[in-house]
Amino acid sequence: MKATLTTCPYCGTGCNFYLLTDVEGRLAGVEPAGNHPASRGQLCIKGWNAHAFVDHPDRLKSPLVRKDGELHPVDWPTALELVHEKLSRIAADHGPDSLMFLSSAKASNEENFLLMKLARAGYGTNNIDHCARLCHSSTVTGLVETLGSGAMTNSLSCFAETGLIFVIGSNTTEQHPLVGSRILQAVERGAKLMVADSRKIRLSHHADLHLRHRNGSDVALLNGMMRQILVEGLEDRGFIAERTENFAALRDSVQAFTPETVARITGLMPEQVLAAARLFAHADKAMLVYAMGITQHSHGVDNVRAISNLALLTGNLGRPGTGINPLRGQNNVQGACDMGALPDVYSGYQKVAEPACREKFSAAWGVDLPQAPGMMSTHAIEAAAEGQVLGMLILGENPIVSDANQALVRKALERLDTLIVMDIFLTETARLADIVLPAACYAERDGSYTSTERRVQLGRKAVEPPGAARADWQVLVELLQRCGVRANYHSPAEIMLEIAGLTPSYGGVNYARLEGEGLQWPCPDATHHGTPVLHGEECSRGKGYFSPVDYHPPAELPDTEYPLLLNTGRTYFHWHTGSMTRRTHLLDREERHAFVEINPEDATQYRITAEQKLKITSRRGTITVAAQLTDRVPRGQVFVPFHFAEGAANVLTNNALDPESGIPEFKVCAVRIEPC
Amino acid sequence: MLKQLELAELHQLLERLAMDYRLQVPQLLADGTRQLAPYGDGELSLHGPVVQRKPTAYFFPQTERLLTVHADGAVELPLPADKPLALFGLNRSDLAGIAFLDRFFSAVPADDVYSRNRDGSLLLALTGEVGPDQAFLPLSAGDCDLEIIRTNGRWLALGHSGKGKMQLHDFVDGETELLTALRQCSEGLAEPLNILRQASQLLINDQVPEQFWSEIADRCILCSGCNLACPTCSCFCIQDRTYDKVTERSRVWDSCQLDAFMREASGHNPLGTEALRTRRRIHHKLAADVERWGELGCIACGRCDRTCPTGIGIIAVAEELVSRYQTNE
Repeated sequence: MKATLTTCPYCGTGCNFYLLTDVEGRLAGVEPAGNHPASRGQLCIKGWNAHAFVDHPDRLKSPLVRKDGELHPVDWPTALELVHEKLSRIAADHGPDSLMFLSSAKASNEENFLLMKLARAGYGTNNIDHCARLCHSSTVTGLVETLGSGAMTNSLSCFAETGLIFVIGSNTTEQHPLVGSRILQAVERGAKLMVADSRKIRLSHHADLHLRHRNGSDVALLNGMMRQILVEGLEDRGFIAERTENFAALRDSVQAFTPETVARITGLMPEQVLAAARLFAHADKAMLVYAMGITQHSHGVDNVRAISNLALLTGNLGRPGTGINPLRGQNNVQGACDMGALPDVYSGYQKVAEPACREKFSAAWGVDLPQAPGMMSTHAIEAAAEGQVLGMLILGENPIVSDANQALVRKALERLDTLIVMDIFLTETARLADIVLPAACYAERDGSYTSTERRVQLGRKAVEPPGAARADWQVLVELLQRCGVRANYHSPAEIMLEIAGLTPSYGGVNYARLEGEGLQWPCPDATHHGTPVLHGEECSRGKGYFSPVDYHPPAELPDTEYPLLLNTGRTYFHWHTGSMTRRTHLLDREERHAFVEINPEDATQYRITAEQKLKITSRRGTITVAAQLTDRVPRGQVFVPFHFAEGAANVLTNNALDPESGIPEFKVCAVRIEPC
Repeated sequence: MLKQLELAELHQLLERLAMDYRLQVPQLLADGTRQLAPYGDGELSLHGPVVQRKPTAYFFPQTERLLTVHADGAVELPLPADKPLALFGLNRSDLAGIAFLDRFFSAVPADDVYSRNRDGSLLLALTGEVGPDQAFLPLSAGDCDLEIIRTNGRWLALGHSGKGKMQLHDFVDGETELLTALRQCSEGLAEPLNILRQASQLLINDQVPEQFWSEIADRCILCSGCNLACPTCSCFCIQDRTYDKVTERSRVWDSCQLDAFMREASGHNPLGTEALRTRRRIHHKLAADVERWGELGCIACGRCDRTCPTGIGIIAVAEELVSRYQTNE
């Protein structure tokens, strides 16, 4: 059996494993990499089965072009010529900003870099974005303001030396299982655990304190904790004095958040707020861990600011075992952000609006570049629905199932003049496309990926792609050349040379150095060994900035017409829109159908029994799913995973956007339920 | 039949075996772990930690095609490989794992898919000073064809089966007293861990309360690694895939830690809680197998303990169980 070391294609933990190929050259299994710093010989069930979807019969094997309403196979030159012709014509007739490019957190760093280069240098628009808009855009916006860098500040190894872990809005054992397991290990060795989550998650069973605050009330909880910390003098005065600024404003802003006020907003008891403040502040080293429960709100950036404020107030930054630790969802969502697949920045978060940055990239690429920041993906969907975006190229994303308010997304994509989708399966989105380009999946191409702890590491090709499918980077090179932009790369390693030359935080990254354990950015030059902990001596922006926030309720709360709160998210066995995991036998067998978690008391009230089909309706649509009776959810809340197209949670969700980050409020909207 | 080899002769032996067999040998991988891989693909690793992938995976792979059904209904079985397998570098517990699976899959009705891989294969042990930092590993129990033993920097070869002995004709005889000494060194090291026997007894005597299994199960993140890494686990499920009009049926490693492992079509699940499933996993290896086969179903290879992300592999659970429920009476 041949063993090819590669990076897991699922979450952002960055596990490595060996793909095993049999004598016929087919994938036969997975073996975890024994000494890798993230996986340490261990994997979650998705990792153990990561080979299984690769040779699924549904893989796309030929470019497809729509003719007379049907998709028909064509050869690559025909498809690529048509892609270029369509995009060029729309740019020429309606201006480059009538195009939108959606990149992918499943694609490599090199592919993200090339797509952002194609959008900017090839077609002249900054309209490029990717699914970080839907997950951690709030983090990038919030932490860039307060610290100067939007990434996880610490490393996975820090869980072994921390005194307390505060998990807020992260179901870590299910969504980052190998991070969740480190948290459980920390508890076993005596570290304290605080969990703030309305659902009873596995971590909450092990927590010293479980705060089941109302969805969307995080700012109130965190401000209340900070007020109490100040009341009791538990803040880190030395750190505040030396390492931060704007403390007075923070102090004033939290005064109104008395335990009683917080209790009223959050649904907690005042004593729980006090206990949380004391437990957290008394830890010598505390790690804040969060994910979508914090970011996916119409005030997601404020939530992130509040978390940052709490870390600064208690001096939990810049040391091992501390830090603000947003767990990135996709295997390369950190990298896609780093590579500038965002509307306002080039790679390394260099702003398109700053002339010096623009000139640097313009000089490197030999073309003039657009000045105005582009559109966020969520705004682009709205614009497409209004007929203002006419052409869209989507690389490895499935917005019909993954974006909030499916009816709006469908209207937007159907209204486009041209929709091009590059993917490995004919997803619900690809079915609407005018042109579909078959992609090589992670196991079929080389590339680098950046994990949640900023670890840049290699993915390696183990098998050939099916049929005529090609690596995205090869396709993007062809499109760049058709645009007349220099793109003479023969391998992802060559693309990384260009990335390193233009991106200070990746300056010391090259493929030879990525062998082994990879490198944690910032890694500015070839002699630098990478950075496990950010903001050591000072923050990336200099002083840590206290950014006071006030509490704002979610955009849509339950009322008499829609009396229940809908929470959405992922489950352990499936991944996002299910295109890979629902085609993996063992994972599909575990969870085959769309379902809703409902509290048994609510079920009794609505006369619903286990597995009964019920209709869930929001102001935006209706789905039918099976009831799962469980006290994981509190009364008054239902939880629907968004993996299942036939019972898509995002038919219901509210596309109320955070005004700064543009993230939709996936975690809160109002619904009603009826038994079928 | 004991022979003595120079290192170069060992290489010659492997070279010769590779002509007649699909020879797999221990190799050092990029991350510093060791794994069996085709001879000649990489550098031979003659000592070090236990090979990470269980060697039984060669006879019972994670995914294996069973048959192909063509559009006209014709059924095609996979072609047998051109040469039988030879696995080199097996330690005593690796061989115990293979023996365990042999017994399971060859019980009537014998599993023809397993036999297809196993029949005609050659098992080559590697024992003596071949552990991590050349630590001493116990000699085999003789359940292999041929055994290479490293002692004081020298290489001995011991033929066990007729096929194994045949490979050794060309080499000079070794000193049999040396073998006696090595066997003495192996005593004690070769016994399964006492902790497993103690845990087994507690389980058989029903001295472990249900609450224990709830606590252990609560730490399980359902990775299924304990099953997938275990050399004696033999459960699989069936996967059918249709490519155009050709259907391939395969079997895929399964895990008794998963809810759907025993879930009935009605939705009822006789192992419907994580606690029940965790209890079953440990109980199967340490109690049920003892009752059925007269020996533990755990060969104490340490793979599940190493791959469990939360520290509830079988040895860890046995230790916890014994420390909590073993009485001195």
